[in-house]
Amino acid sequence: MLLELKGVQKRFGGVVALRNGDLSVNAGEVHLVMGENGAGKSTMMKIIAGLYQRDGGEMKWRGESVNFANPVEAAKVGIAMVHQESLLAPHLTVAENIFLGREMSNRFGLVDRGAMFDKARKLIEEHHFPLQAEWKVERLSPAGKQLVEICRAIQHGTSLLIFDEPTSSLSEAETHEVFKIVRTLRDRGTGVIYITHRMDELRSVGDRVTILRDGETVHSESMSTLSTSSMIRYMVGREVAALYKREPVTPGAELLRVHNLTSPPSVKDVSLTVRAGEIVGMAGLVGAGRTELCRAIFGLDQPSAGQIWVGGEQVSIGSPRDAVRHGVALIPEDRQKTGLARELPISWNVTLAGVPSKYGVLQHGIEREITAKAIERLRIRCDSGAQKAGRLSGGNQQKVVISKWVSRGAKVFLFDEPTRGIDIGAKVEVFEVMDELARQGAAILMVSSELPELLQVADRILVMRQGRLAGELPGRTTQEEIMRLATLPSSGTELEL
Amino acid sequence: MKTVQRLLPFITLIILVVALSIATPHFLTATNLSSVVRQTAVFNIMALGMTLIIISSGVDLSVGSILAMGGLMGTMAMSKGQPILVGVLVGILTGGLFGLLNGVLITRLNISPFIVTLGTMGIVRGLALVVSNGLPVHEIPKAFSYLGEGTVLGVPFVLLLLVVCTFLVHFLLDHTRLGRYTFAIGSNQDAAIYAGIPVKFHTTAIYAIGGLLTGLAGMIEASRLMTGQPTAGQGYELQAIAAVVIGGGSLRGGEGSVVGTLIGGFIMGLLANGCDLLGINPYWQQVIIGAVIILAVSVDELRKRRAV
Repeated sequence: MLLELKGVQKRFGGVVALRNGDLSVNAGEVHLVMGENGAGKSTMMKIIAGLYQRDGGEMKWRGESVNFANPVEAAKVGIAMVHQESLLAPHLTVAENIFLGREMSNRFGLVDRGAMFDKARKLIEEHHFPLQAEWKVERLSPAGKQLVEICRAIQHGTSLLIFDEPTSSLSEAETHEVFKIVRTLRDRGTGVIYITHRMDELRSVGDRVTILRDGETVHSESMSTLSTSSMIRYMVGREVAALYKREPVTPGAELLRVHNLTSPPSVKDVSLTVRAGEIVGMAGLVGAGRTELCRAIFGLDQPSAGQIWVGGEQVSIGSPRDAVRHGVALIPEDRQKTGLARELPISWNVTLAGVPSKYGVLQHGIEREITAKAIERLRIRCDSGAQKAGRLSGGNQQKVVISKWVSRGAKVFLFDEPTRGIDIGAKVEVFEVMDELARQGAAILMVSSELPELLQVADRILVMRQGRLAGELPGRTTQEEIMRLATLPSSGTELEL
Repeated sequence: MKTVQRLLPFITLIILVVALSIATPHFLTATNLSSVVRQTAVFNIMALGMTLIIISSGVDLSVGSILAMGGLMGTMAMSKGQPILVGVLVGILTGGLFGLLNGVLITRLNISPFIVTLGTMGIVRGLALVVSNGLPVHEIPKAFSYLGEGTVLGVPFVLLLLVVCTFLVHFLLDHTRLGRYTFAIGSNQDAAIYAGIPVKFHTTAIYAIGGLLTGLAGMIEASRLMTGQPTAGQGYELQAIAAVVIGGGSLRGGEGSVVGTLIGGFIMGLLANGCDLLGINPYWQQVIIGAVIILAVSVDELRKRRAV
């Protein structure tokens, strides 16, 4: 037994984040920790890694009772954590970040940059990561940053490695690479704790699973004997239709037409249409140009060629302001950075794209009505519209971002990874909102890296590869078909995968 | 507990008033109080504009220089024979013009407000010295002193001006689209852009409004001194920023209130006044005021951290 937690508790002021946390991890096993957002997973991990101190309960490391006052103490015994959000120094290079705080020094006691970069390069090559040791971290995508965090953790040599949702921002190929690393570590006798939301990942990587709900450990079992449906039941405490499936509606008029759109360097000659009532999925690997396509349609990037029609009229969109005016909405990939004003009340976020005013003077009464309507319609769970938006759970934050566009009366919705960082229950609710929008005549383009979700929600699926449209598939296609289009070098030439 | 912490600046102000009333009999006199009001009115009016700017996640270091330029242009207009009202308007509009310049430079060149206004702080001060040849303007109609020193039914005229400006800026911030966008830009500029808000236009407008208020403050200062001084207002930018910050404004943007700023301004004014009355060495005054700024902000940070 490597690590054992019994009845661990943690309170923040009046809020109990963890009331009864049990967990036992063996050396050489991959232990999944699951639960909805707010179930206490991250709190439990931070206690193990020394970021938080427990208020009660027992923690044993190799049979001995321990108490880590800070992450350095946890690191000393060999516990490391790959964080969900990036904790890197953005202005330093990949190599410098990997060795941050443990720089290699030469015999004069000076930092040995050459050796550090060599070692980092070797590490990156060994795992086939799409990184360069010399790159500045600030230029990396969320996925790239995650990979640097992983390099950093494995470089330091650990007996227990904690992954806090490592793949939520990774592409399929990168995810496989992470799994490979996890398996290698396990085979070397390292204990791995792995937090995830993604059901499809579990079978291939986990040995045992511990499920948390409302701050309590509710179940722990071997992966091989636990069915997916009972796993979900333990997580949400009720039966959930594991597979949401949208019933398509007959599409109406064409609301969005993109013709030969090129936005260098990531989008090349893309044409597509979305009709009223349709949810069109957009699949592809990370870096295929899907986010950039959304940015170009929304006026955040200036296309070098191509035309856009909205509602049958050719429009020229030079800025988000133009896009909004033409009824185009973007629900961005990075909710915290570009979607939500966290410090402002929910109501201000709801009306951000169209605050009711007369001659520039706000109409607070109408604003309250709009907010109340949005909270009810999108089932945003909050105390009141005056609550700060940043205090909500991920799912409810996303609903606030969506409500901004619903209140504005947008007709064309571009959803970029709409379920990232959202727990299962809330995911279904987001799907329901999208479905309702479509039924009321909106046209929806949904970018997602989660193939099962696309299959559940989309009426048809477009696949992008290296900036170009690689093909179109019906909604009832398979993950294999999508992956084939997303990865093949060019149509027609079959390759052995 | 939370309300107590939010009211902390106000409570501090009350305590300060009570303590000073007990400590010295000279404090609670009409002469002294009206002198405090006159002294603080200048940078309180400046601080109102600074509140908008700081809420938008910006800062304006050039207000001291703009104040001097406004006062100078206004008094020069009067010395050239323009009526007082025209002179005052010239002063206010000069301030607005340089505020506009700040806004245009920040939004069009995409340079941080700190750098732009650090630059214009020097440029505007230099221009004021060039225009005036470094000499103060003295030929001002006597009646102009009313702006800074006059009373209406015993109430200092500047206090009325301050009340009107406070009301206007409060209305702007809480009841207009511009005010809402100020918070939105300050809280998350990217989200504001993504929501289709014309961020550049509104940012420019915020700096221009700050400039107008600073121009007015410049005319009041000129009226109190009865000269147009090209060297007026040095260091006032820090006073204005301090007032906003003590009143609960955050330099990270998205937070701040007009009432808070006003209280912050009066706390600073009373501290200076109290030190004078109690005969504390003016050199120590600077130390005390500096310490109060750090104290106020650290208490505020503590409150926020606990609220999470």
